[in-house]
Amino acid sequence: MLFKLYVKELKDSFRDRRTLLLTVFLPIIMMTGLTLYYEKLVSSNEEESYQLAISNSISEEMKANLAVHSNIELLGSDNPKKMVQDGDAQAAILLENNFSEKVRKGENTSIVLIGDSFSENSSALLSIVMNVLNEYERTVVTDRLNEAGVESSIIQPFSIAQQEVSAENPTINLVAMLIPLILSLAVGVGSSPAAADLFAGEKEKKTMEALLMTPVKRSTLVISKWLTISTIGVLTGLITLLVVVLEIAFFTENLKIAVPIHDNFALIIVFAVLITVLYSMLIASLLMITSIIGKTIKEAQSYSTPILMLTVFPMMFLSTTGLNELTFNHFAIPVINVFSILKELIFGEIIYQHLMITLGSNLLFILIAFLIGRMLFMKDKWVIN
Amino acid sequence: MITIQKVTKKFQDKKTSITALKHVSFSIKKGETIALLGENGAGKTTLLRSIATLLQPTEGTILVDKFDTMKNPNEIKQKIGVLFGGETGLYERLTARENLAYFANLYGLGKHETKVRIDELSRMFGMRDYLDRKVGGFSKGMRQKVAIARTIIHNPEIILFDEPTTGLDITASNVFRQLVHQLKKEGKTIVFSSHIMEEVSMLCDSVAMIHKGELVYHGKLDHLYKEEGSEDLNYIFMSKLVRGGTHYAI
Repeated sequence: MLFKLYVKELKDSFRDRRTLLLTVFLPIIMMTGLTLYYEKLVSSNEEESYQLAISNSISEEMKANLAVHSNIELLGSDNPKKMVQDGDAQAAILLENNFSEKVRKGENTSIVLIGDSFSENSSALLSIVMNVLNEYERTVVTDRLNEAGVESSIIQPFSIAQQEVSAENPTINLVAMLIPLILSLAVGVGSSPAAADLFAGEKEKKTMEALLMTPVKRSTLVISKWLTISTIGVLTGLITLLVVVLEIAFFTENLKIAVPIHDNFALIIVFAVLITVLYSMLIASLLMITSIIGKTIKEAQSYSTPILMLTVFPMMFLSTTGLNELTFNHFAIPVINVFSILKELIFGEIIYQHLMITLGSNLLFILIAFLIGRMLFMKDKWVIN
Repeated sequence: MITIQKVTKKFQDKKTSITALKHVSFSIKKGETIALLGENGAGKTTLLRSIATLLQPTEGTILVDKFDTMKNPNEIKQKIGVLFGGETGLYERLTARENLAYFANLYGLGKHETKVRIDELSRMFGMRDYLDRKVGGFSKGMRQKVAIARTIIHNPEIILFDEPTTGLDITASNVFRQLVHQLKKEGKTIVFSSHIMEEVSMLCDSVAMIHKGELVYHGKLDHLYKEEGSEDLNYIFMSKLVRGGTHYAI
């Protein structure tokens, strides 16, 4: 009986154009946009060119110094500050009169940098210009020390080298945020219409009463509906992930380079699918509760919206957390653990202890949420409008 | 066939308590067609839902063919078919045949039995032309036929209709009335609630009037006419319920 109910619910759900649109087409379109945006985000850091306003009276020597960086385009003006204010340049550099000459003579002089710290482009340009000027300052200091017969090492007693713990391409961190975010959005968006339809919708359309009048046990009804929502969530999640993986492989350059193919790639895929299934079951349980509480589809969707919003929040906490900073809590708290474990898997790490904590935690919360839903469904108050 | 004994139904939450039925008692015989009459909120739907085992009485018992609605709901569900409200309660994205087959399945009918029953009902209700079309595109009359067919797919002995013609146009209402006539001929026991007195006069053998949860009249329709000296059911209804008639003949 359970199987017959399940098959009918699936058939009914997939005949709904809204479900099809939200389950297959919308996630694919949304995720394509998100993937291409991330690709642009990565490539823009490398290829973006910035406009730096300089005074027309600036010396050729300084122009040459600033033009060292290929990303900087110099724009001469009588009023560089105005160019920044008008949006024609992202930053401006103001040098004192006869700046180069004063530097040569060893006189004190100054530089003013004008920028907009609220603008990402302006901040990036200021940072580049600061690096260029620091380098120029070091050259000047070295020259002056040499002239005075002093070794430059006297003011630079040691050198600093920075090394990364991980040998991975830094872009992988973006992919490690993108994939769980896409999964979270896709599962939520995909299973939400079916969830609202299968409980609140049946109450609204009065099919629930007809269903309750049959000799089928309520627990069988609730399990079949929950399985249907879970299945739709899994399908949406997997289809979307597949599309994103194919897009990364065939339509991106930087994201593709960042994703490593490890020896344990097949195992990582298996665990990622397992996590998708568990996450879909958890979301199905939560959406089932909101749909049982709602008297109409609209009401059920109002209740489910905050839950779906909450599921994307972990991205904010975890985007700045390194792999070695992940603790027990990251793998024990539902939803956050999906983001954490997928991050590890994308980095090529399989830590069985973390996988077991995530698995156990999800199963526990699925069970609790399902039992709450079942308890509500057994009460007439929640199933008969 | 159906015995309602001192049934009281209270709906309670933290702040309020509403008594929808107060010590209601009467019996319905096998093959009888009875109408439940009353104003909106009188308790008709609550009584129908209680007979259908969807609600449990707070006090009293309801026996359907000697089975208690509280103790043996599944036995009763096999004997009862229910159609609630003007809504037909059909799955719009499934065809009429799929709707009927689905409910036949839920009632435990086998494949062959389901096919035979669907053929029988589609012939009986004249649904053959649209049996394999999705319900979403049906007129109200067509939906009503499929809904009634679904209600009796398992060939129940008792059929409950809650305001079955509410919101229906004349054609769809006539479809319902014709079908009830057919079901009566088959010896089914039919209980329905209605506000349309002409329909009640046309279809029923007996009436039960409920006012604010209390049964104020139960008896044969022709006895009621004799008693009131009128065959105008609208007038009788107003006299008994709205004008607060005190000569309740229970």
